[in-house]
Amino acid sequence: MVEYQLLRAHSLDELLEILDEKENVQILAGGTDLMVDLHHQDDKFEKIDYLLDITAVNELKGIKLGNKKGEIGALTTHAELVNSPAINEKLPFIAAAASSIGSTQIRNRATIGGNLANAAACADSFSPLIALEAEVVLRSKGGARKILLEDFVEWPYQTIIKADEVLEKIIFAMPEGEYYSSYQKIGRRKALSISRISLTLLAEVENGSVKKAQVASGAATPFPVPFRKVNKYLNGKNFAAINPVEAGNIAADEMVGITGERWSTPYKRPALGKLVERAVEDLLEEAGYNG
Amino acid sequence: MAKLDVELKVNGEDYKLQVGSQERLLDTIREQLKLTGTKEGCSVGECGACTVIVDDQAVNSCMVLTAQVDGSKIITVEGLESKSGLHPLQKAFIEKQAVQCGFCTPGMLMSALALLNTNPEPSKEEIKTALEGNLCRCTGYQQIIDAVEMAAEEWGG
Repeated sequence: MVEYQLLRAHSLDELLEILDEKENVQILAGGTDLMVDLHHQDDKFEKIDYLLDITAVNELKGIKLGNKKGEIGALTTHAELVNSPAINEKLPFIAAAASSIGSTQIRNRATIGGNLANAAACADSFSPLIALEAEVVLRSKGGARKILLEDFVEWPYQTIIKADEVLEKIIFAMPEGEYYSSYQKIGRRKALSISRISLTLLAEVENGSVKKAQVASGAATPFPVPFRKVNKYLNGKNFAAINPVEAGNIAADEMVGITGERWSTPYKRPALGKLVERAVEDLLEEAGYNG
Repeated sequence: MAKLDVELKVNGEDYKLQVGSQERLLDTIREQLKLTGTKEGCSVGECGACTVIVDDQAVNSCMVLTAQVDGSKIITVEGLESKSGLHPLQKAFIEKQAVQCGFCTPGMLMSALALLNTNPEPSKEEIKTALEGNLCRCTGYQQIIDAVEMAAEEWGG
């Protein structure tokens, strides 16, 4: 039988104070993952004495995109990302990822911080943010620390957040100059779809070459990682020298290098390769290279 | 475990309630307020039968603890009908025969209302997106989409 005391924090100070004072606290945000666990009376609740609702903490909400830097508050919902003119204009791959999550009802409640902190291997928020080389700000009463998002997850559903910390916001440098992006997702259906594979390609381009490419995927590996070998293949390369199929193969090999040969590899290897191939083709087309 | 005090405005009426730590908005609506139009289907956010409107947004009431929405304005299916009769959405659902067994209907109506309140002239794609979190095993959806389009023309637009 699950038993806990529900607490509500109304400010960041109050939230940090509770985390500092009490033990065995589970943070509750939009609840779209946690309420499923609660319904199933999941074992994880046996270790929880307090469930701390943070949805009233306004300091954790909001999107700020400047010319150089951007930040997204942890309590920003996926619906807010989908509907944000600034996100759609400057970082459309984040809007694309957010719109692919759940359903209208889920997106109205589910938060980007919750998606990251829950750290499912299939979480759709990781690949766009890893492609941005985003950092997460983890705050406790004693102060804050910044961690590169790719170092945030230790294992599926396991992050480096300490018991007295809360994920406050996601921060990143805005892409520079001319840039293009692509977000793709394979699921078994359109709505309420759990990713089989998702992929983000973000590329800054200059004078007919890729200046800096960032490829990252979700659900392809136990926890989301950047694909450094395919980044290296694309970086500095003239459009004419880029072979999308080769880029796809490099990414697929890199994935299998991380996961090893698994039961799903005969499906995931060509599927990931094709997503990367398509993303690179989209990049070349949008950048105006006609081959 | 201690109960928590919450205040809600449901269908225009103010309520002061005490809720448990595990009490979902769905439980409060059905068990405390006896508004049983809102249905419990899957209980895990997949089917949308429990959809209500919280502060102008459609949400699954099975995925929200009542204490989380303290101070919110909530609309349930019972809030649609007024003294002047059925709401245009309800009339359209009847007219287009968008109801068969009826279990999904309250949730469908709430998702549709949340859409039309913010977007009075939705495209067919926007209607589909608004209803994507609501499952119907009877109609095949077409009549429901037709009904929302009809309501938008007669009321929203």
